[in-house]
Amino acid sequence: MVSFIVRRIAILVPMAFTISALIFFASRLSPIDPILAMIPPDMASDSANLEQLREELGLNDHIVLQYLTWLKNIATGDFGYSLQSGQQISEILALRMPATLELVLSALILSTILALTLGLFAGAKKGGIADKLSRVLGVVGIAIPDFFIGLALLNVFAYRVSWLPSGNRVAPGQVTLWDRFPNYILPVATLTIAMLAVLIRYTRNSVLDTLNRDFVKTARSKGVPEWRVLYSHVFRNSLGPVMVLLAFRLPLLVGGSILVETVFQWPGIGTTIIAAVTASDYPVIMVVSMLIAMVILFASFLVDIVKSILDPRVRLGGGN
Amino acid sequence: MQKKKQDRQSTARIFIRNLLHNPSAVIGLTIISIMILCAVFAVQISGVEPEYIDPINGRLGPSLDHLMGTDQLGRDMLSRVLSGGRQSIYIGVIASFLANLIGTVLGATAGYLGGKIDAVVMRVSELVMTFPQLILVLIFVSLLGQGINNVIIVFALTGWMTTFRLVRGEFFSLREEAFVEADRAFGFSKPRIIFRHILPNTLSPIVVAFTINIAIFIIAEAGLSFLGLGVPVTTPTWGNLLTAAQNPVVVDEYWWLWVFPAMSIAIFVLGVNFVGDGLRDVLDPRHKSLIAKSKWKVALLGRLGSKK
Repeated sequence: MVSFIVRRIAILVPMAFTISALIFFASRLSPIDPILAMIPPDMASDSANLEQLREELGLNDHIVLQYLTWLKNIATGDFGYSLQSGQQISEILALRMPATLELVLSALILSTILALTLGLFAGAKKGGIADKLSRVLGVVGIAIPDFFIGLALLNVFAYRVSWLPSGNRVAPGQVTLWDRFPNYILPVATLTIAMLAVLIRYTRNSVLDTLNRDFVKTARSKGVPEWRVLYSHVFRNSLGPVMVLLAFRLPLLVGGSILVETVFQWPGIGTTIIAAVTASDYPVIMVVSMLIAMVILFASFLVDIVKSILDPRVRLGGGN
Repeated sequence: MQKKKQDRQSTARIFIRNLLHNPSAVIGLTIISIMILCAVFAVQISGVEPEYIDPINGRLGPSLDHLMGTDQLGRDMLSRVLSGGRQSIYIGVIASFLANLIGTVLGATAGYLGGKIDAVVMRVSELVMTFPQLILVLIFVSLLGQGINNVIIVFALTGWMTTFRLVRGEFFSLREEAFVEADRAFGFSKPRIIFRHILPNTLSPIVVAFTINIAIFIIAEAGLSFLGLGVPVTTPTWGNLLTAAQNPVVVDEYWWLWVFPAMSIAIFVLGVNFVGDGLRDVLDPRHKSLIAKSKWKVALLGRLGSKK
């Protein structure tokens, strides 16, 4: 197991370097002067200083050296400055990241619980209510753009009946988490429904697969009660592929809620990215892509570990 | 030679017959054909040009005169929604074709050659696949700029993985077949074996991936244009029509401005997915068995990683 993990990490390191290099050099293709990303905007207005700063900051150095410096800065938490607002990017992230995490994490957890429950019932009783429901959800849910779900919910619950606020994470006067709770309902519901469709189809297939396996027949013929067959034989064994899908959804934690955040004016990473792309704010785009790439590498590492625990052949077979 | 041609024809005939006996394919094809016809004859059906401005009749709700109402400038929504389909479907189909081309070439090469090349392309595809699609698209858009052609290029560059995985998987099993051994014994060149002899056998997953990608790209276009970063607003697409809903007042009071475009997207995508499901059943009876089918779903739906 240890050697397997070491081998996986050995693959991760060069990949992390390749991605960061891609991001760095791609951003250098843009017409924006990189010095603006490295100093606060008030310093940038002084053009005499600029040349000296350029020298001091190493912008006249060889490009490979610059890349290494950039890496070092990122590693030490110095992400540079946003071109648009002049704020430090680390500050922006610290401000915006929690909003997105709250949103996506709750939706991820909710959709997983719902999908697993529905998927299990659907698979267990083909043609039953749960099965029909999950089939309709699986087919229709994929066809509907997720922001449309958000707009429809907004129209009904925020405007027609005004039960819930129409957006924003915190309104003036809301102090405790409980005060803010209503703000979360619509965005989280939208994201949950959006994430549900694929997961439900997937769980249902996985459960149906497992039901066809020999050990389920054996358990049934042994006279094991049906609920136990379902729980300890079917459910647990169909969890594997679902776990893999979930691990691959981790990157959504950073960038999976752009549309929903836009619909509900949610001050998270998603709206930050939109603003950055609209204004060609490359430093912000670079840092966010780096962040997502790192989460992805971590997720794929996690998937390999989960897989190797579920199926020792992966570990022994050398991976590829 | 003559005989062979006849065989082919009859295979095609069997394929069409099976397809027409497959309920989901028939429903899907009907939906798609009706919507494409509506898009082509948008002006004739609605009786108004999509760009015809009539400010006095702005923001009218649906009525017999304007079945889907009018927008803030008094333009007829029916005409706009129907003709918006032209660009959206065009983008979906062309981008899906290009993405399939990339995926097929990479999948065929990696699947046949295996080894280091395969490992590298596989890792890249895994990476692109796990990257939240919209963010990847946004990064490319910020580098390339907006416009229909750029949107198509970006979709092709970010959406080839499904096809790649399916084709690669097929090549993995096919490269050990007897006819490939024979090819190698004859001393055929690698490109000839890969593209002339094995590739035709992998047509069915490619066709299915083509339909699935159309659906994915049409939804992606909607999202991108909704954010105002896709096709320039001057061209009506389903996504561009939805941009109106960025305004809370529109969400509240002028529901017809966003419900109808969104419904068109949903119905068209539903149709495409039905066709995809039908094609999968018809083209490859093997995949009717549950286990195999779920493997396909991994690649098609899950957009998820390594199936080593």
